[in-house]
Amino acid sequence: MHCNFFKDKIALITGSSRGIGSAIARKFATQGADIIVNFRKSGGKSQEQGELLCKDIRDMGRRAFLIQADIAVKESVKEMFHEIDEKLGRLDFLILNAAKAPFKPLEKLPERELRQLVETNYLGNIFCVQAALPLLEKSAGKIVFISSLGSRFYNPAYPLGTMKAAMESAVRDLAESLSIKKISVNGICGGIVKTDSFKVLRQYWEELDQIPDELFVEPDEIADAVVFLCDPASRGIQGQMIVVDRGLSNRLYRPFLKADKKQELSY
Amino acid sequence: MSQNFITEATVFEEVKKAIAETLNIDKDSITAESSLIKDLGAESLDFLDINYRLEQAFGIKMARHFILEHIEEMFGEGSAIDANSRITDKAVSLLQFRMGENFPELRAGMDMDEVPALVTVQSLTRGVLDILDSLPEKCSACGNSEWQSENSLRIKCGSCQEYAAFTNGDDLIKAWLTKVQEEKKIF
Repeated sequence: MHCNFFKDKIALITGSSRGIGSAIARKFATQGADIIVNFRKSGGKSQEQGELLCKDIRDMGRRAFLIQADIAVKESVKEMFHEIDEKLGRLDFLILNAAKAPFKPLEKLPERELRQLVETNYLGNIFCVQAALPLLEKSAGKIVFISSLGSRFYNPAYPLGTMKAAMESAVRDLAESLSIKKISVNGICGGIVKTDSFKVLRQYWEELDQIPDELFVEPDEIADAVVFLCDPASRGIQGQMIVVDRGLSNRLYRPFLKADKKQELSY
Repeated sequence: MSQNFITEATVFEEVKKAIAETLNIDKDSITAESSLIKDLGAESLDFLDINYRLEQAFGIKMARHFILEHIEEMFGEGSAIDANSRITDKAVSLLQFRMGENFPELRAGMDMDEVPALVTVQSLTRGVLDILDSLPEKCSACGNSEWQSENSLRIKCGSCQEYAAFTNGDDLIKAWLTKVQEEKKIF
């Protein structure tokens, strides 16, 4: 890594009050960057966790700013970037991490939930990119999208995977169209990480307990890869997804991934 | 069949323990009437964690979906929640029927996001007891009916030592909805 490259640069991590987002925020702070922590809902645990995270970052000697914004709401996104522009006038790294989705098979989602799925996990990310462009152009900034293996493989009751796939395509698209502005766009495709969302997945996917411990990814490992994609060391990488899954997707024999009995194919 | 192996007091204690561990709060600060969201500071993801702990403790499967979602699935989109995410009259009468008159906050037109705040320690305890009461007459593995309790939390077959298999929470809600619909024809 380049010495001092991150010092005094500014990173916004959407949905960073906990889980992977929080690990990414900490990692950027250890590299010397100042951090904007974003969370969706005021007055709840996320706000509390966001405040604690900001305190930790300040204790590390970095600046930290907590901004509430629901990325699914365009006006809310605009206000967030207005605040960033007013307070800091600068943005170097936009990390698209926020996600929110029901855990149900796609065909069972009522229209309301389908729209929410698209609004938060597709539109919300694009709103952020659009609103961040003026600042990112000035800094020749980087955009990193946090995806998951659910974009490529079937997970039970995981409609979010379809949006991750759409966003991986958006990464390729944006990388090309924004390269002229010297903005790099890439993504990390994470394996199975033990965050709050894992607690949900565990309820729909009993075989998850059979996955050996060594195949679970630590949030910190995702964070390291994100920082790499923002570092000049990765300057040759553009429009790519880097898989950080400890080799899970590379295991073809997968004794623990039994097909649902109901859906078993007969040959 | 209703079971006498695991008492309501035991379930209540276990529910409090699951909540206290998930939210990292003092167990003694939790009362039967506490709303998980309003009084104890839980968020939607916490419900799943609490449910998971209860599932592990009792060997059961809690409902994955709120009753409103089941109503929508059984009786069609818009039957419980309108286009503006508001609860319908019919859904309210059904919820009142299920939860009793103890929920004055429950009213037609309330936002669906406010409904989870109605879940209390008491109603969660009731949910666990309903599942435990689905104990089949006979052991599905050996056909004997020699149930006995283990650590007053799990019910085991005294004959073949298999743990009892309960109906899962979602199926219980669906069965209840089917029954109530037949009787009352709300939808």
